[in-house]
Amino acid sequence: MQINEQVIREIILQVLQGMEQPKPTTNTATAAATGRPMTLVEKGEARPGTRADEVVIALAPAFGKYQNKTIVNIPHSDVLREMIAGIEEEGLTARVIRVLRTSDVAFDAHDGTKLSGSGIAIGIQSRGTTVIHQKDLPPLSNLELFSQSPLLDLQAYRAIGRNAAKYAKGESPVPVPTKNDQMARPKFQAKAAVLHIKETEHVIQGAKPVEIEVKFN
Amino acid sequence: MAIIAGVDIGNSTTEVCLAAMESAKVTKFYTSSIVKTTGIKGTLANIPGIVIALEEALKKAGMTMADLSEIRLNEATPVIGDLAMETITETIITESTMIGHNPSTPGGVGLGVGQTVSFTQLESLTSGEKVICVIPENIDFEDAARVLNQALARGIDLQGVIVRQDDAVLIANRLQKIIPVVDEVTMIEKVPIGMLAAVEVAEPGQTIRTLSNPYGIATVFELSAGDTKMVVPIARALIGNRSAVVVRTPQGDVKARTIPAGFITIFGSKGKADIDVESGANKIMETVERVQPVLDVQGEAGTHVSGMLERVRQVMSELTEQHLGDMKIQDILAVDTFVPQKVQGGLAGEFALENAVALAAMVKTSRLPMEQIANQLRSNLGVKVVIAGVEANMAIRGALTTPGTDKPLAILDMGGGSTDAAIITRDERVLSIHLAGAGDMVTMLINSELGLNDFDLAEDIKKYPLAKVESLYHIRLEDGTVRFYEQHLPPQVFSRVVILKDGEMVPIPSSHPLDKIRHVRREAKKRVFVTNAIRSLSRVAPTGNIRHIEFVVLVGGSAMDFEVGDMVTDALAEYSIVCGRGNIRGSEGSRNAVATGLVLSYLDREA
Repeated sequence: MQINEQVIREIILQVLQGMEQPKPTTNTATAAATGRPMTLVEKGEARPGTRADEVVIALAPAFGKYQNKTIVNIPHSDVLREMIAGIEEEGLTARVIRVLRTSDVAFDAHDGTKLSGSGIAIGIQSRGTTVIHQKDLPPLSNLELFSQSPLLDLQAYRAIGRNAAKYAKGESPVPVPTKNDQMARPKFQAKAAVLHIKETEHVIQGAKPVEIEVKFN
Repeated sequence: MAIIAGVDIGNSTTEVCLAAMESAKVTKFYTSSIVKTTGIKGTLANIPGIVIALEEALKKAGMTMADLSEIRLNEATPVIGDLAMETITETIITESTMIGHNPSTPGGVGLGVGQTVSFTQLESLTSGEKVICVIPENIDFEDAARVLNQALARGIDLQGVIVRQDDAVLIANRLQKIIPVVDEVTMIEKVPIGMLAAVEVAEPGQTIRTLSNPYGIATVFELSAGDTKMVVPIARALIGNRSAVVVRTPQGDVKARTIPAGFITIFGSKGKADIDVESGANKIMETVERVQPVLDVQGEAGTHVSGMLERVRQVMSELTEQHLGDMKIQDILAVDTFVPQKVQGGLAGEFALENAVALAAMVKTSRLPMEQIANQLRSNLGVKVVIAGVEANMAIRGALTTPGTDKPLAILDMGGGSTDAAIITRDERVLSIHLAGAGDMVTMLINSELGLNDFDLAEDIKKYPLAKVESLYHIRLEDGTVRFYEQHLPPQVFSRVVILKDGEMVPIPSSHPLDKIRHVRREAKKRVFVTNAIRSLSRVAPTGNIRHIEFVVLVGGSAMDFEVGDMVTDALAEYSIVCGRGNIRGSEGSRNAVATGLVLSYLDREA
């Protein structure tokens, strides 16, 4: 048992060191992390949509509010902008809401699908984990899941928006090609956990989803 | 009482029929079974499959191997087919004169004509110039739109935009003027700058009108009659697109070139004939008919066709342990098809449907090593094994157990590798023929025409009907009817075209609509099965005239197909032939004809 604890301590130490290493570059990263300025205006309780040409983007509680960049320092404003652009390019409109009752990406997205006129929603957590969901599916199922948040770049977010729109149109999109990196898990596990805890702090039990107006200045 | 097993080894399946015999009469048909043939037909590798099939049939009848008194094998027809495809045209774009990749979401609408300018040049232009802006990679759509709007405000007559990224709708939505925007041009750096160009985008659901019309291009670029002649291939290449770009360059052209594919020489009993593969399937088949019966076919040395024909010979020679020189190709079937191929010199990864010729060839040798199989089986199982007779005769015998049939009768055995026809006259004479091209060729056509690169998937598309999953609770079948589900469907089939394979759904990973896939499937089946049905029946018809055949029974694996039987029945109805799927012993459908015939042939020997 003692040995186990020691091993764990060592691992945590290593992980923390690993996290500290990229510190010199964080200055430039934070500079980049500002991205295009964005304001999120909360507009009260989100209502179910009736338009069949809308795709809901369901933000997790802290997205763009208490946190402003993903696990690999991509600014939230740029992430959201690319997803909206992907939807717009396909000729549909994006509606953004914030889900407050959960920080779980699957339930977050599933709440979004119930408000989406097309039944399609994208759920996204602050650390960048994303899922495309459909209203008839059980919450823990999905159409496309992007679980390795450190590997998602802006191009991928654009493609996620585009595919969600294509599902809403009843087309058969080719699933967004995702990268796979076995090292992503050990490298980012601790950081991901921290970010998730920070997200979960802002969960309000039983709260209704909030309609959000996005402004890019 | 003797228990007899008839065993039919086919190209793809091994079938068994089990029956009890007494005093020159079948007392009872017990069971039948069907398993996949192990190894290539007519080789020792077939034995495991035979044993499994026998055990299965015996188990169903509650018997063991010891109860068997005799196993009757067919003298399998030593035919083997192979397939090849030759692309005979290619499209080449020179000097980047055209962009016709048809992106799914072009922006704006209309036709614009002007000089191509790069994005960075835009600021230095003076007002009044008619331009088409070329936007390279890594320029954000908002920045692009802002600069374009500023240019418009300065009085520059912006006529159209060509974009690298998938941004057309985003840019078009932000422009103050509605102009056509074409995007996803992957090799945008190759677009010639400073040339007169035209950009056209049609309304959603429509196709371009001006740039797909030679006179339209002539009007836009003020061409002479001579030059208009030159742009015909460009216009033709753009027909059916929703968006297009044409750049006027000094030597720019779109060429549809014919690739020399070599010729084949057909040796027939009525002389020999040379025919170029590139002249198409119709010409090849006319030549075959002219010299038939075919004695041998050879390809021009050093061409693909020759390679393919040699491979068939090689395989057959190894199989039968006979000399390569003795292998003669007895029939070929050529079918016109098309293959999606990348256009050479294209700027946006354009694909063009190029013409191709698919060839099926068939080799016949004197015999297969059936004796070896029989000996091996005898020593393995300790049961008497007899090689009973020619496949075609056995098939006819079996087919005659179909209720409502009588001699004279023709059968059409459509399998995987070959199409066989046989006819029995009133005086018991049997005439048979084996032709190249059957189920496997259909699979190849589906695979190439849909650009699947997945033979198993193509095989599934061939065998099963399609449906479109419209929501997680309902699908629309290919005839338009809707089926609802109580439980939600798996998410991976959502919004996809699926194959309904034995109660499960296999999604087709391509963007082809259901109608297109269905059309390709049906056309492939018609081109192979209907062609071969008519071809083979006219050869076995006693008078040489297909109309003199009255009854045709379809047997074999491909006759089980959900639509091939109907297609052939429909086509033969034109010749007033009664044709339908067999129902062997009134219960087996079109399967088991040969195995049943083998059991029945036991009676001949007794008599």
